[in-house]
Amino acid sequence: MKTFSTLFKTELKLSLRGMDMFIFAICMPVVVTVILGIIYGSKPAFDGADYTFLQQSFGALATIALCAGGVMGLPLVVSDYRNKKILKRFKVTPISPTLILAVQVAIYALYSIASLVLVYATAAVFFGYRMGGSWNQFIGAYFLVMISMFSIGLLVGGVSPNIKAAGILASILYFPMLIFSGATLPYEVMPSALQKVADILPLTQGIKLLKAASLGLPVNSVLIPIIVMLVLAVICAAVAIRFFRWE
Amino acid sequence: MEATIKVNQLNKSYATVKAVDNVDICVCRGEVFGLLGANGAGKSTVIECILGTKKYDSGTVSILGMNPLTDRKKLFERVGVQFQEASYQERITVAELCEVTQCLYSDSLDYTDLLKQFGLSDKLKSQVSELSGGQKQRLFIVLALIPNPEVVFLDELTTGLDSRARRDVWKCLADLKAKGLTIFLTSHFMDEVEALCDSIMIMKKGKSIFCGTVQEAIALSPYEKLEDAYLWYTDEEGNDYENI
Repeated sequence: MKTFSTLFKTELKLSLRGMDMFIFAICMPVVVTVILGIIYGSKPAFDGADYTFLQQSFGALATIALCAGGVMGLPLVVSDYRNKKILKRFKVTPISPTLILAVQVAIYALYSIASLVLVYATAAVFFGYRMGGSWNQFIGAYFLVMISMFSIGLLVGGVSPNIKAAGILASILYFPMLIFSGATLPYEVMPSALQKVADILPLTQGIKLLKAASLGLPVNSVLIPIIVMLVLAVICAAVAIRFFRWE
Repeated sequence: MEATIKVNQLNKSYATVKAVDNVDICVCRGEVFGLLGANGAGKSTVIECILGTKKYDSGTVSILGMNPLTDRKKLFERVGVQFQEASYQERITVAELCEVTQCLYSDSLDYTDLLKQFGLSDKLKSQVSELSGGQKQRLFIVLALIPNPEVVFLDELTTGLDSRARRDVWKCLADLKAKGLTIFLTSHFMDEVEALCDSIMIMKKGKSIFCGTVQEAIALSPYEKLEDAYLWYTDEEGNDYENI
């Protein structure tokens, strides 16, 4: 436990010194929330909808940090530490690889949760946002999406041969998901052809799940997203741990 | 005497190159063992095979009676390692790196004392990347000593250090040796090898071409100084002339 807490504390400090996660996971979601709030305010999501546009978008806004941490932050840090031979130095100490990964996962989880709290506070204080569905369901769905995004990240970081490959793979996953899954640009304003393409992105499914939970929509509409998230999480995490390389 | 590090018939090839060819090593408790050889002779590969960071093709390795691959967690509570290239997280400070290293072990020494011994006390808050080459080198020796190890591996111990710092490091190691620490080192400095090592092995192209004490190495050669004897063994002198 001492090992975990010391590593966590130090790695978090190092990560904050780096600033990139602070910008992409903490500032950016709040900025997007403010922009959507100013543009759409408390307008209904569509004519006759009984929830506002912001209520509809809340689930999506909550995933910006998940996407940044899971698909960008995690793979880069894992492959960077391998590249710099930091993992090799860890290999000649008693620490287990799972603990090293767990520390990084915990750091990005913390960023995500901090972002969720800030996005909620911004939406609630400035734009009168109220959660329409159940918080319990929403939190459950949120962690499911988190696990699945983070396992994708671990997989990318784990199997990339070098930092450059990890960077390219991370960008290929991160930018399309950030823009087209509905995390920033609302899914609802996309033309239906684009929506069909967006549907294959894992985060789109995650956002559908969060949207349903936050609006209190019926459960049967989210069966597919739940299955997609679970399958992704299990496969990616298993492959990442199985093929973990110190060097 | 009890063998602390035992290597039998170690073999390792990279593609078609034989990097380590049937190497046997036996280092007893409290002994300082020096592995010598030109760059590319296979020294680092031997160390990495012993530590388990590289897979070897055949042979057996044991440290403190344990297999480094299967008993990794137990073994590395008692073994300190300094690799040739220093690796550390970006933007980490000296104190943070020491703290992180310390937290990996269930039993460890106070790093502030070690930093003082190696003349780094005033660098606690400095970023590791801002240290000079010699300071980094000393810091990584400190990291290897943090677990209060019974065995320590030092790859290119004093490369990059000035004469004063080298003498200081030797003195620290001699003190640790007197307390029973087993030291496995590689070095390119023959004065250092003479000052520290009880036994040496000279490698050339993956093979062991001499194994014994410094005195034996000199006695078996036509020379009177270890440096001359070493060059005679490795035949570097001849090569140098050819290059000119």
